[in-house]
Order: sequence, then structure tokens, then C-alpha cells
Amino acid sequence: CSKVLKEQPRSIYTPAFFQTKTGVLGGLTEMYSHLRYIYGQAYYYNTCETGTDEATYGQSADGNFKVMDMTGQGVIDATTSRSDAIWNTCFTNINTANGVIQYGTSAGVDSSLTSEANFFRAFDYFLLVQTFGGVPLDLGSGDLQFNINPVASSVRNTVPEVYTKCIFPDLIRAVNNLPMSARLTGTITKPVAQLYLAKAYLTYAWWLKNPNNIPTYPAAERTDPDGHNAQWYFQQAYAISTNAIENPGIYGLQPTFYDVNNGANDRNNEIMLYADHTQTSQQYNGSSLTYGSGGAPDNFAGWMLTWNYPNIQSSSSNSSWKAVNSVQRASLQPLGRPWVRMAPPIGVFTNTFADKTNDSRYDGTFTTVYHGNWNLAGISGSLYNANNMQVSPGAPILTFLDSEPSTAIDYSNSVYKSNVGAGVLPGRSDFVIDPNGISRIVYPGLWKLGPYRTDNGSGLGNPNAASTRPFNIDKFSELFFVAAEAAIEGASTTSVTGTYANDGTARGLINIIRARAGKWDYDNNGDSAKIADNSAAMIAATPATITIDYLLAERSREYYGEGYRWFDLVRTQEWANLASSYSICGNNYGDHTPQTITRTIPAYLYLRPIPQGQLDAMQVSEAIKTAYQNPGYQ
Amino acid sequence: QDVSAVLHGHVTDSTGKPIGSASVLNEKTGKGTFTDPSGDFSVNVKNGQVLQFSYVGYQTKKVMYSGQTNLSVVLTQNGNGKLNDVIVIGYGTQRKEAVTGSVASISGDKMREVPSANVSEALQGRLPGVSISQTSSQPGATMQIRIRGTRSLTANNDPFIVLDGIPFPGSIGDIDVNNIKSIDVLKDASATAIYGSRGANGVILITTYKGVPGQEPKVSINSYYGVKKVLAQFPMMNGPQLAALRLAAGKFISQNGTITLGADESDSTNTNWQNLLYRDGLVTNEDVSVSAGTKNGSYNFGASYYKDQAVIPTQNYQRFSLHGSVDQGIGKYVRVGFTTNSNYNITEGSQVGLYGALSNSPLASPYNADGSIKYFITTTQDQSWVYTKKVVDSLKNQWLSENKGYASYNSAFGEIKIPGVEGLKYRVNVGLNINIGNSGSFTGEGVNSTNPTAPSTASIGNSVGTDWTIENLLTYDRSFKKSRLNVVGLYSSEQNRYHSTYISGIGIPQDALQYYNIGTASQEIDVLPANQNYWQRGLLSWMGRAMYSYDDRYFISATVRSDGASVLAPGHQWHTYPAISAGWNLTNESFMKSLTFINFLKLRAGFGQTSNQAVSPYSTLGLLSSNPYNFGDATYANGYYVSTLPNPNLGWEYSKTWNYGLDFTILNSRLNGTVEYYLTKTNGLLQSVGLPGTSGVGSYVANVGNTQNKGIELSLNGTIIQNLNGWTWDAGVNLSFNRNKITALASGVTSDQGDGWFVGYPINSIYDYQKIGLWKNAADSASGYLNTLQPGGNVGEIRVKYTGGFNADGTPVRAINSDDRQIMNADPNFTGGFNTRITYKGFDFTAVGIFQNGGILISTLYGGGSYLNLLTGRRNNVNVDYWTPTNTNAKYPKPGGQMSGDNPEYASTMSYFNGSFLKISTMTLGYDFAKDKWLKKATISQLRLYFTVQNPFVLFSPYYKETGLDPETNSYGDQNQAVSSYQHRMLTQGFNTPTTRNYLLGINLTF
Repeated sequence: CSKVLKEQPRSIYTPAFFQTKTGVLGGLTEMYSHLRYIYGQAYYYNTCETGTDEATYGQSADGNFKVMDMTGQGVIDATTSRSDAIWNTCFTNINTANGVIQYGTSAGVDSSLTSEANFFRAFDYFLLVQTFGGVPLDLGSGDLQFNINPVASSVRNTVPEVYTKCIFPDLIRAVNNLPMSARLTGTITKPVAQLYLAKAYLTYAWWLKNPNNIPTYPAAERTDPDGHNAQWYFQQAYAISTNAIENPGIYGLQPTFYDVNNGANDRNNEIMLYADHTQTSQQYNGSSLTYGSGGAPDNFAGWMLTWNYPNIQSSSSNSSWKAVNSVQRASLQPLGRPWVRMAPPIGVFTNTFADKTNDSRYDGTFTTVYHGNWNLAGISGSLYNANNMQVSPGAPILTFLDSEPSTAIDYSNSVYKSNVGAGVLPGRSDFVIDPNGISRIVYPGLWKLGPYRTDNGSGLGNPNAASTRPFNIDKFSELFFVAAEAAIEGASTTSVTGTYANDGTARGLINIIRARAGKWDYDNNGDSAKIADNSAAMIAATPATITIDYLLAERSREYYGEGYRWFDLVRTQEWANLASSYSICGNNYGDHTPQTITRTIPAYLYLRPIPQGQLDAMQVSEAIKTAYQNPGYQ
Repeated sequence: QDVSAVLHGHVTDSTGKPIGSASVLNEKTGKGTFTDPSGDFSVNVKNGQVLQFSYVGYQTKKVMYSGQTNLSVVLTQNGNGKLNDVIVIGYGTQRKEAVTGSVASISGDKMREVPSANVSEALQGRLPGVSISQTSSQPGATMQIRIRGTRSLTANNDPFIVLDGIPFPGSIGDIDVNNIKSIDVLKDASATAIYGSRGANGVILITTYKGVPGQEPKVSINSYYGVKKVLAQFPMMNGPQLAALRLAAGKFISQNGTITLGADESDSTNTNWQNLLYRDGLVTNEDVSVSAGTKNGSYNFGASYYKDQAVIPTQNYQRFSLHGSVDQGIGKYVRVGFTTNSNYNITEGSQVGLYGALSNSPLASPYNADGSIKYFITTTQDQSWVYTKKVVDSLKNQWLSENKGYASYNSAFGEIKIPGVEGLKYRVNVGLNINIGNSGSFTGEGVNSTNPTAPSTASIGNSVGTDWTIENLLTYDRSFKKSRLNVVGLYSSEQNRYHSTYISGIGIPQDALQYYNIGTASQEIDVLPANQNYWQRGLLSWMGRAMYSYDDRYFISATVRSDGASVLAPGHQWHTYPAISAGWNLTNESFMKSLTFINFLKLRAGFGQTSNQAVSPYSTLGLLSSNPYNFGDATYANGYYVSTLPNPNLGWEYSKTWNYGLDFTILNSRLNGTVEYYLTKTNGLLQSVGLPGTSGVGSYVANVGNTQNKGIELSLNGTIIQNLNGWTWDAGVNLSFNRNKITALASGVTSDQGDGWFVGYPINSIYDYQKIGLWKNAADSASGYLNTLQPGGNVGEIRVKYTGGFNADGTPVRAINSDDRQIMNADPNFTGGFNTRITYKGFDFTAVGIFQNGGILISTLYGGGSYLNLLTGRRNNVNVDYWTPTNTNAKYPKPGGQMSGDNPEYASTMSYFNGSFLKISTMTLGYDFAKDKWLKKATISQLRLYFTVQNPFVLFSPYYKETGLDPETNSYGDQNQAVSSYQHRMLTQGFNTPTTRNYLLGINLTF
């Protein structure tokens, strides 16, 4: 009788599983798995790039991208802002971390492991506090407690509370307990925790300093509950980051910038944290190996800054124009799937990456030369391209020039028909576009995030799959930038010893990065080996005094298009200064006249709106909901 | 002289309708038989003996045998015109005149006037208060049944099905329509209370044919064959129309101002991709059954085959069924029997979707210069794999999806009359069911991919469901003078168990292996934790019911039931609820005698409670979900997080229903009808409550909120012409008005926007911006403050309702935002059905129709979810009347305007249409040759040929008028779209298999 009414689940886990050792370890795996819902998610990626000086919307942009541009194409609000992507993901993971921390010890899990949960709880709160301002520490069962209470209300803590009650203590615990070596490929270590602690101190120091009087929410005095001032935190950031540089453990700088981002060299020792993916298992990759539908946990961010290059056509005949798609969609790092949702403004090419000769980072960031690959699609023979010249597979078909050519480009396409509106220079078999001719529809692709597969065989592979590469979140190189930024803001410096010895000044630290940027072992767009060391020229070009603007430009050269930019500009409060206008050519093929567009970046935008989904699900009065929202969006 | 003869005969009512199950008794010998459903009987009789013909509600007639052959007997109704039907109620039958609850019935014959694949389809529009909606247009799909509206938010709203007295846990599609004798639907709580927690959503009692004791073997053969033609293609643009749209949108424009074309497009091409895909479908049904009586017993068995082949290549459904029943008396006190229904069904072809055929550019040709089919086509921004009927047919061994189901539903009973106590019986029912599913799919290398070397994939799923039920019943049934008493006591227990596994693999080395050996997968074998399922649920019940009638004037029925369910939290598992109802037959009162135009009049009232435990097992315990992860290329692990919180207080969701009814028969029994009013209040709704993101947990299951349904039902059946020069014309109509609303949500809040629920509004509400037109021209854009309300918006775009305030100068204070969303009721004002039947000599003509007034039809084809109304010219577009500077009165916005995602801003507002329609679902013309004399001699009692057209007409439908499409839904809210955009519960029209018009030719033969 009573047997009939008894329940014993056999195919699912209930929350009680979290109190077992296996459950706690599964919770730890989730710490890493949740990164995929943030990094590589293109709509979120968009919020970190579009609207900064690194990106604007592209020709095929939809509202998700246009509103982020702040140029009258829609308004950022609780519904349109795509920062919602991290809200639920972070809080769910924070709760998992709460569970691991709460039950780990009694389940017999070592503190070096549970400290990973401390790290990720701080990681998520750090992400949230930078994006939204103060966020709740109590999910329903008390501050930082594993939630077993279904509550449909929420109270936000202030920014200093989130930092001092959670982020700092958690990261300090992680720094103290984590090992120097990774437990598994890609798991976190003490230096990773140091990098985050240094970044958190740096960011909080800026918040206390508040140079441009950007509002915070919920309202809080710019005083530290722990009694320190901005200066103290800048100094801490400097001390911790230089300490990590001196004791890098398993991490270090790659010989060249190209090596850092080369797909064949993924998970190299410069990458400290990444959201992993793999082509070896569709199940554990978490997304299809053949066709991505454009949603988390797919790594599809790279599609956004990829223009529709497969439209490039050449001719199979030299007597009349018989179109053949000469650069086909392929799962190769320079190519990949084109969504044309975002585009780089011209300033990226004329200012940020003004030096394309000494500095290898331009060549290691963009696809500027599109090489013919029609042979991979089973089309044999040669084709005819610009100036009716014969081209073979592998030859450049379209090139974005490094600088303005001395001879004017013929964009008329009256004879040789670039159907993507590219132009012709005398004697060149490739179509060309000059830096000032870059438009929302045709622009250099983002090579860094392009796909890399080893299963293409002799064909084009699976270009419509999401990238199976890990999405890089943080690099060893950032320690130099963090220390330099702290130094610029007044941290007293001491010389740095070890592998990366330097005088410890902002200039000294930055020059380590710039010297490396001058080293070449491969000409990416020329697709050939190139051994060159322009380190001396790079260092010579470094200004005597590093300003915060110079540091930000250097960060953009190092991390262009990787999702750092919005945080950098917001932390330093330089967003409105650096991104208020940009220029780019229009939406149509053949548009080569730059237009300058002005952005409106009021101070309230420095905090993203609380997502509508949160407000909708809260069962509280309208007044409370309104007060929950950030000012400017209420 | 004294030789016993076998007399054949036929019993009808005064209108000539055969009376089945009438008793034929030889007064001398005391032996007898019953008429079959065609009214026919055979009985042994000697000259001079008297035969007594009787049937409930009719005057008994006596005929002396004097050597007649083919005796025709006409029974006339009792003087006061009592209703003659016997209604199946839970755990017994009842004369219709004594029914006090709300029960709607239809005979199998009447139901089969609509040739259909399954019971749900056959019942559409036939019974008041029973609303049946299409959820898929694919072959083999069953429909959604709602009795008196929707009451649960997330718990099950499906009615409880009882097959031959035993709970039926399978799909209603597993029941062979040909074998059904009658269907009785219990609608109110006083009728369903006997089923307790199973009955909250109404109960459908299905009775299959049994033989009749003493009946000679009778064979019935039913067969039809038909072709299916696409009713209307989806209204996509042709080549010139798409070219014009692309130009107007300005998103794909070349340097010289003309439209850009993909490598496979040309502006002189005009491909109709739907023509290349569709074929003619076919549908056929063959059924044979034999029934007979034995001494003190009867049996029935039969077999049937049904096949429905869709207009989409390879898509089809086949079902093989076997059924049998035996009922045998043993001695004076014991009766035993069993019923078995088994079927094997195969569904194929779900891999072929329609999106490609609809979205492919008509400017692109599928053919290479040499006439062969291209592998894929490249358009301006997309590539798509090319599939046509030819391609799909040629790939039938490389691209397939199959579902095979085997189900066996069996029940056995034993009944003992307790000696010494007249009217007391003990009965035990045992039900044993098994349901086995096996699904497999295979996609060969490069198939359905633009990459010719995309690896092959295969998957296989297996499931087994088993159920057992034991019911112990004690029945006491007696008449005392004018009183009649029936008491039933029940103790029952049941358990359902389900287990399924699903495995997929990548890189099957050889096409011939298909999905049969996933172990061979060379690249990867995936066994995702989320795809393996096991559950078990149990229910214990006690029930008692007493029915009492006095003098055929006063009726009362009272029930108490107590249920315990395993799926609820310990301490909250048991619930007890009562029901009571009463009826008053005014016709039998002396003061009514003078009102001769009233043949029958009864008033009924009832109140009862029922409950719902239809949440998934383990809902009280909470849930961990898992996410896979790789640490590098070689280390794999699963992460876990809490997705559902436990709820140790989860208890019953229960409904209280009040029901008032009036049954009448007037005008010389030519018109009868029923009017009912009901009110159902459901409390403690079981639902998954979405939590705010800051909870760190997605949801929990709780008893939260209340709903209410109230409504009026009306049904009328009349004989308009009664045997006038051989013509008879019957017609029936039913109407249902249901008003549903949520009366409370969690802890006093008035809205749950995440789930789309609002207090005071129906469960089926749409929460969205409300389109009020377009920003027609510059002048109205300026006066309407387009720039303020919709920054970045342009003239010609969708204008939605603004609900914010205005500044002193008349300008709006803010831009349009989420606060401007409106709650829109999607439920219809009323629904109903009608049927009519005209007979003349051997000819019969029937038509059955359904209708709906009001409500919102969500056609995702026109909204944002389908990606078929992008209005950019990127892919093919539904052919809509869009805004241009010279066409400012258009319904649809300016192409290429402000975008939200890939769609026009506020695209969802384009998917709402007025849901009204009237549809003739079938028309049938038949001729019965058995009226001819020579066939009677051949002992053939029926030989009927008929021709049926299904879906002949759609009328009064604004949607049909604009689009030419069937206005019935064909998908759940999250299906058949490129991006799912509605809650699953909302029925929508998406790009599912097209509706067809079917032409059937059939035969019914009985001998």
C-alpha cells in the first residue's frame, strides 16, 4: 500500500546530491561550464564591443547591435540591452558556488578545490558589479548562502558591499589556497586568482576615485567600509600583479603575438582562463560540430565581426565576366561564418593600429588578405580577377591595404566587376580597398576569433559550426597592463625581477608587451614565414610618459575584439572621451566615403539596465521594481 | 408444424432508424436475443409462439409468429417520450433520463460520419463543451482535447480516458475508431468525482463493440481509400515579388543600385520550391470485425489497418490494430471476461522540414546547367542545402526518421453475484498495459548540410511504459416499488512506470547501418544524461457512490472519493472530496400532462470537487541539471547546478464545479436539446513558478494561484423532415461559451510576466505590444511623435500602442518600452459544431462542420519567429502587402526598416489574426445497396458505398481570406518556427505539413 506512494528517482539528481563528494566535484565542473554561457555568446560579446571605439554595428546588424551603438538606432533599456545574458548565468553559478563552499568541507573536499568556487563566486560578482552596479548577496537564504528558499523578491547590495563582503575575501582565499599548477587542463591556479584580485582592486580603486563623477547605484558613499582609500587599492593592485609577474608559475608570454592567438596554439601558456570547447566531442563541446544555431553555449562571437566575404567573385573566363565564388566559406581561421553584425570603425586602422609594419599585432588581429580557395569547393583551374589577371588557388583575391596608396583606386567597377564593391590598382591581380574605404559591409575580418579545425580534410570543413576553439578570457599579459595602470594612477613602483625584469614603471611594464609585439615569426596575411625583431623600434616609439589614454590604446592593440573594451572604458571612465564619435563608410557595396557619426553617451549608461526578465519575475510592487532598476532606465 | 424456425427480422423506431440492443424474447421458451447495431436479429421460434420486443424508453410490443419471413417491427416511444439511450457513466450505465451530472454522448456510428484517424479528430465539433484543437498537421498526430476550458497552468489539462472501464494511459491515437460503440464524456464534477483525482479535466469513456448473447456471427468490413491534395500552398513570394521586395528593402543593393544576387540567383529565375517538394498524399483504412453471441456470453474480435501518407515526401503514418473481447457467464452467479486492444504503429518522415522550401529564394534555381540538382544554393547571405521531392525520395535510405510504437491494453474482470442478497455483486477489474516505443533516425554524410563531408549522424531511442490497475467493486442495485437504488464501493490501486533511453552517434561508417548499430559510430557516441528517463507513479483510491431514483421523477446521486498520490509531498498525498447531484423529471408530474408539446423535460443541478495530481513524479524533490564540459581535448566532465528547488509542501490542486442543466424533448420528439451552465473554480494550482534570476535557481513547483472557468453549453438536435415521400432530414448544432480567467497568482501578485499570466485574464493570453497600424506618412509620424516614441524608427514602420504620459506640450514623456505591452485575450468568444444528415431511400448525405467566433490566431509565419517575414529580401518572404512611399495604406511595414534581431521591429505584432472561422470538415454522400431486395436475401444487412470530401470549405475566416491558409492551428507555441517565440501551451500556426483537402471512396459491408 504505502509502497505505491513512495518515490525513488532513478534518472535524475535532486539537490541533495550536492551534499556528496561527487556532487561537490560536479558543482566545480559547473564553474567552468558556465563560462561558455558568457564567453562566446555573441549578443553579450556585442555589449562589450559595440559602442566602444573598437566596434560599431555592421550592415546586417539587427536591433541587438544597433541599440548598443547609441547613435539613435534604438534605446538601450531593460529589454533591448543584451547584458541580460550574464544575469541569470552568473546568479545560478553563484548559487552553485555557495553550495560547493557550504557543503565542500563536510563532504570531504579539499579547500584547494573549494577555493575554485570562491574564485568563481568572486568572478561572477565582479562581472555583475562592473556591469550593473550593486547586486544582491542574499539569493534567498542569507548573504552568500546556498539558496533553498524560493523567493520572488530581491534586494540589491551596494557596490562597496559586493567588493568588500564577497569579491575581496573570496579572491584572497583563492590566492591563499589554490595551487601553482592546474589540476586539469585549464583549471585555475594561484596566479589566476592574483590577476583577478589585482583587477578587482584596480577597478574598485577607480570606483572610489570616480574622476569623472559617474553615478553609482544603489546609492553609496565613495568611502571604503574597510577604511582604505583609492590610493591604497591602486597600490594593492600593483603589488599583487607584479608579484604574479615575478612568480608566473606555469604561465608566461608567448614568443610572438601571432602565437598567442593562433588556433593551432590554443591553450598556450599565456592564456590564464578560457571557456573551453573541443572538436573531439560534440557532447562535451556543448554545441554542434556541424551547424551552430547562434545561441549559448555555442562559441559564435567570431561571426559578428566577419563580413560576407563568400560573396567575393572572380571570373572563370577572361573574355567575359562569368562569376565564380573564389573565396568560399571555410572553417579556417581567416574565414569562418559571416554574420556582418558588427564592423570596425576606420579609426581602428588609422589610429589604433597606425603602425602595421613594426607592430605585429595588426597582422595578428585581422584578416586583411582574402586568398582564393575555390579549389577546396571542387572548382578546378585558375580564375580571372582584377585587371583580368589570372589567379591560382591561394592567390590574394581581395586585399585591405595597410595605407592609402599613391595611385587612386579605381572603384568604378566598370570593367572588372568586384561584386563587393572593391577597387582595382594598375598591375595588381587582387581587388583592393584602402583604409578610408572600409564600410559597414566590407571590412577586414577578425582573424583572432576565427575557427580552427583539424578535420577539414581537403574541403571547406564545417564553417557553419560554432568555433570549437576555447574562448580566451584572460591572459598573462594583462598583469603588465594592470600593474602599469595602477602605476599611472599613482601606485609607487619597484623594479620587477625574474623572467620579465623591468624597472617596474608603467613604461617599463608596457615595454615588455611592446617589445614582444615587435617580434615576428609568421606573416599571417602573407601566409608565409617571416622572422623579424622590431622590438627596439617598438620601444623607441613608446612615449616617455604613459598616460591612461595611451595605456587604453595599447590595451586595444593587444586585446582588440576580445570583449575587454567596454570594461576598460567604463573602469577608467574614459568611455565618453574615447568613443563619442567614429567614422566609417556606408551600408552598401561600393560605399567608400567615410561618414563621421556622433554617439551620445550619458553617464547613466555606465551601468547597464537590470534585465526585464528579472523585473518580470519579481513578485513585488511596481514601486519596488522601479527602484530596483538603475537610474536612467527606470 | 411444430418445427422450430429461424426468424430474421429488423427493429426500427418510428422514424425508420434501426434500434440496436433491443431485447427480443420468446415468451414461451424464455430464450431470446438482442438486435445488433443495425437493428437486425435472428431468433428461434415456432408457429404460435409470441415474441416480445422491448427497449428502454419504448413501448413493449408483442408479435405472434405465424410463418413470417423478415419480420419488421416498429417500436414507438413511451407516451411521454422518454429518452431512450443508455449512457455509460463511471462504473456502470444509466438510463439517460436518470442522469443527473453533465454527460455528453455520441455513438460510434455517428462519430464515424467523419472518417478519421483517431478519436480526437472524430470528436472535433461534435460535443458541446469538448474543444478539440489541432496541434500538428503531420500524419498520426492526435489533437488537444479540452473539456470546459483550461484550468491548470502547468499541470496536465488532458481529460482522463477510460477504455471499457479501465483507465487508459496510452495515446488516444492508439484506439481504433472502427471498434468504438459509443463515447460518453463526463464533464462536471458530480459525474467525474467517481474518478476523483483523475477526473478533474473531464473523463472520456470509450466503449468498444461486444457481441450480444445469442447473436449469430456477424461480419463487418469497412474500408476507404483517398487522395490528399494540398489545400493551399504557403503564400510565399515568387521571383519578381522577391526581387521587388529586395529592392524596396535596400539591404542587398549593388554599386549601381540594382539588387545584389547570390551566386545561384538570377533575376529571371522564378522557382516555386513548394511545387518541387509536395506530392499527393493518400489515406486508407481497412477494418474487419466479427461478433457473435454464445450461450450466456458473447465475443468480438477484429483487425484494422490505417495508413496516412502526407504531401511531404517520406512522411507517413501506419497503424495495425487488433482487438478482441469475450464476456462469458458461468453458471448463475459468475461472469468473467476480458478485452484486449493492441496496435503497432509506424511514423516516418519527420526529418523533412518545410523551412527550406519556404525560405529558399525563388530567384535561385535548384538546377545546374546540365539539369542535375545543385547540392546547395548560395543566396545573398545564406547557403542552403537543396532538397526537392526527387532528392528526398532518392535519399530515402540515407535520410530517415522513424518512430515505431507497440501498445497493448488489456483488461480482465470477474464478477460474482452474491447469493442470498439480491442485487449485490462483487467485481474485480484488472488492467495491464504495455507501451513500447522505438525511434531511430539517420542522416547520411553531407545530407541536409552545405558541407558534403559533414559526418553522418544517427540516433536511437527506446522506451517502455507499463501500467497496472486493480479495482475492487461492490455493487448493490435494486428496485423497490417506485424506488431504485444503486450503490457502488470501490478500492483501487494503480501504478505507472516509464523508462526511456536515447543514444546518438556521429560518423556511421556505412550508410546501410543506418541507426541500427550506433556502436559503430567512428567519431562519437553520445548518451546525454538529460535524455535518459525513468519514473514511476502510483495512486490509491477509495470511493463510494449512491444513486437513488423515485418514481422516475426524482433522482439523486452522491459520491465520496479519497485519493493518495505518490507524486505529492509526504503528508500532503491524500485528499478526500465529495460530489452530489440531483435531477427532477418534470414530464412525469401530473401538472405537465396537459403540455403535450413537451415530450420530456428534466432539470439537473450538481456540485462536486475533483482534483489534479498531474505533475511529474519527483516534482517535490527539486532537480539538478547538468552541463557538459571539456578540460582540453581529452578530459570530459559534467557540471551540476540546481535548476528546480524542492517543495516539501506540494499538495493537491483541486476544482469545485457547480453545474445546472436542462434537458428537453419537444414537438412530438422531433427536437431535443440540452442547455447547461457551469462554474469551475480551481485552487492550489500546481505550477512551476519561475524565480527571478537573483534566486540563483530557475524555478520550483508549487501550489500557487487559482483559476476559474464558467460557461454555457447548448446542443440541439432535430428532425426537420421526417420520412416525407422518403426524405428525412436531421440536423444538430452545438455551441460552447467558456470564459476562463486566472483569479489569483502567487502571494497576491497580479501578474507573472515571465510566464505570461495575469490575474483577471485568461490563461491563453498574449503579452505583447499592440499594433495600431503603421506610421503611414511623414505627417502622421510627426504628429504622432515617431522620433520620441521610437528612436531610430522610420515612416512606414509598425506603430504600437503607447501607454505612457505626455508633457504639457503634448509630447510623450518617454520612448515606447516594455511597459507598453498589452494583455490580449486569445480565447474565442464561442466555438461549436454542426452536422446534418439527409436520407432518401438508400441515399444518405451528411455534412459536419466546426466554427469559432473571435479569439486570436497566432500565425508565426507572419511574425518574427518563422524568419519568413523578415521583409529584407534576404530569404523568401510571405507575400504580404507592404508599405512603400506609394502604398501607404499597406498592412505590413516598410521593408528594411528598423530591426529587432533579424526581423522588423515589433515583428511579433504581425502574427495576430482574428481567429473566427467556419469550416465544413467533411461532406459525405452514400448509398446503401442493402435496401435492395436481392441483398437482403443474401443476408447482407448493409452494403454502403460512399464518397467523402474532407476540408471542402472554409468560410468567414479573415485569416483564410488574406492568406488562403487553413485557419486551424497546427503547432504548439514553440514549434515549427525558426526561433520559438511563444509558450508551448499557446497553439499557433507555423510551417508544419500543409493542410490537405481529401477525397475518399469507402465501403461498409455487414453480413
